[in-house]
Amino acid sequence: MLKIGVQTKNAVDDSNPEKGFELLKSAGFSCADFSLNAYLSNISLYRHEVNTFFDKSETELEAFFAPHKKAAAAAGIQINQMHMPYPNYVPSADEELNSYLKKTVAVKSMKICHFFECRYIVVHGFKLARNLGSEEAEWERTQEFLEFLAPMAREMGITVCVENIYNSIGGHIVEGPCCDARKAARRIDMINEKYGAEVLGFCFDTGHANLVGIDFERFITCLGSRIKVLHIHDNDGMGDLHQIPFTFTKSRENTVSTDWKGFINGLKAIKYNNVLSFETAPVLTAFPQEMKSAALEMIAKIGKYFAEVITS
Amino acid sequence: MQILCSHKGICDIERPGQGIRDMKNADFQLLFLDFSMVCPTWILENFGKRNLCAHKAEKIVEKPRLLQEQIGDFLAKAKESGLAMPVARAPYLLRDTKRTNLNNTMRQLAEESIKICGQAGCGYIIIRSLFFGISDIWETNKQFFLGLVKTARENQVTILLENQCRNVSGHLVRGICSDAYAAAEWIDRLNSEAGEERFGFCLDTGISNLCGQDMYEFTSALGTRLKAVILRDCDGHSEASLLPFTCVSNGSVQTDWLGLIRGLRKISFDGQLIMDFSDTAAGFSPLLRPQLVSLAKSVADYFKWQIEIEAHLKKYSSIALFGAGNMCRNYMKCYGEKYPPLFTCDNNKSLWGTSFCGLEVKPPEALKSVPDGCGIFICNIYYREIEKQLERMGVKNIEFFNDEYMPSFHFDRIKR
Repeated sequence: MLKIGVQTKNAVDDSNPEKGFELLKSAGFSCADFSLNAYLSNISLYRHEVNTFFDKSETELEAFFAPHKKAAAAAGIQINQMHMPYPNYVPSADEELNSYLKKTVAVKSMKICHFFECRYIVVHGFKLARNLGSEEAEWERTQEFLEFLAPMAREMGITVCVENIYNSIGGHIVEGPCCDARKAARRIDMINEKYGAEVLGFCFDTGHANLVGIDFERFITCLGSRIKVLHIHDNDGMGDLHQIPFTFTKSRENTVSTDWKGFINGLKAIKYNNVLSFETAPVLTAFPQEMKSAALEMIAKIGKYFAEVITS
Repeated sequence: MQILCSHKGICDIERPGQGIRDMKNADFQLLFLDFSMVCPTWILENFGKRNLCAHKAEKIVEKPRLLQEQIGDFLAKAKESGLAMPVARAPYLLRDTKRTNLNNTMRQLAEESIKICGQAGCGYIIIRSLFFGISDIWETNKQFFLGLVKTARENQVTILLENQCRNVSGHLVRGICSDAYAAAEWIDRLNSEAGEERFGFCLDTGISNLCGQDMYEFTSALGTRLKAVILRDCDGHSEASLLPFTCVSNGSVQTDWLGLIRGLRKISFDGQLIMDFSDTAAGFSPLLRPQLVSLAKSVADYFKWQIEIEAHLKKYSSIALFGAGNMCRNYMKCYGEKYPPLFTCDNNKSLWGTSFCGLEVKPPEALKSVPDGCGIFICNIYYREIEKQLERMGVKNIEFFNDEYMPSFHFDRIKR
């Protein structure tokens, strides 16, 4: 049976990680997606504001996260994936900030990932097509960053996973980096071949795919075994809401408006055997605190349903 | 590149005279002929059901040969007004059709539409792929399209496939031919089977926009297979045919026009540019429609101008710029090497004699002594004001430059 995971954000608190991981375990999860990105928010980075979290030395960072690692192990939760803070490049920022994001934040993120004995770390591609003129030129810059991480990834046994993300044109969400499955597959193979190891993989994000009308089944089958991790969540096709799957309808018939059938068929076709991980942290702030465990249980049950139908 | 106007929302099929006149007066010379005006989607969807009011179009569904008869008057009026119709679209089904038994009817309607195109001198017809109630989409459509080749050849018509969306319980997502690589492969395989170039592609920007697609990538992947582009806007969530640039939020357009223009430039697009603003037109009072149709023509001309921007630079043996700010900087970044200006000039006296992006900044008076055949490109958004100033000075060959849809952009803007 496929394992089920969820984000730690809004569930695991630094002040008491034991309680958080216990909550996940009791809700029915056996894995977690560690939200490292929560320690350096994208909103502040786009404002060129950086906190001092990643100024900590490696030893200090390990000491900071030691209770989390211990609590996860005690609860029987495997941290199978984590999210690197993003963006890793801010076009409007100066060289100092961008160098810090690359040489300090990204490097220390890899080390934290290794410390957690976590196999996969998700990164965002650079959003530069508008300025540079094409997706190809944009990818060159992302590739440069990925190749900076690749030797570390090989040495640490980590697979860096690029994720399908989006851009916004006047508030309308359109496809962004890594939304072309063919290109992503070719590029992943090329880099892995160059480094002689699985240093690069893919994270399929259902919510982002739904926002830009991607054909789930076609996309998943095109990437095949390159898909190492998932970000499962739902939305109304308009906003990146990170909500519970099967929640959105758009017609009188009230049938689900996200192509979950394509998702299941795709994962079935590629014989996906990694974790079914939910990226649904906003659900936990939407529901009343008293219902947090019930909401998590519901998410875990949906995960189990997916696991059953995918492996049946 | 040819500019066409869709008659939908402008012309009434029963009394097309006024709409045709509006298009003609707006200086549209070419029409996009949409057969759905005589055989609409709702008739197809309800065909054969009880309680459907008798409608002329229902007879067409029953006997597709009647298509010619029903559209004859419209064609005659358009011809009389000197409007040619280089592109047409065959009748099509609703995106969320429930009809699984109309595929043969759709084939017959497509065939009849091709014959009418042949008689009307219309070289391209858009025919949507069959999509509902079929298991092997490629095989079924291969048979469908190849079955039309003979008629298309006899009538000298090229069949254009179109990007379609799929309805997932009200959410429109990417459907048949909305993957540009797959669409290109279909076209190549169909042409190969047909033994000639009988198939091409029409990009519907409305559908690309609904599916949040990168139009630069889409057009690049199709290359020369792309014969027509339907320009229409929508809010990115509901299908509509709105006038481009009218879907805005907080002062920003919501459609990837930048990607489209960049892509069409890259493939040196020289096909059919079709304006479809039927929903905008239908929403306007008939009293205002003439002005709206004129605006639509200007929008179409603007797209053509942007796509062919380099052609305007090529026209002149030398170039001088007016303006020493961001637009001049963008010119130099994207075109400075290929079309190096002699100098730039500016009304700001403090800049005279300085150098900007490798150009000497001179007073406007310097434009009076440029060589013959030199084009003066205004690189400043106060176009009309500067144009008047230059005209008063007796400057010739005044052109506008625009940096809204540049091949690439700087990461910052200079402040002056």
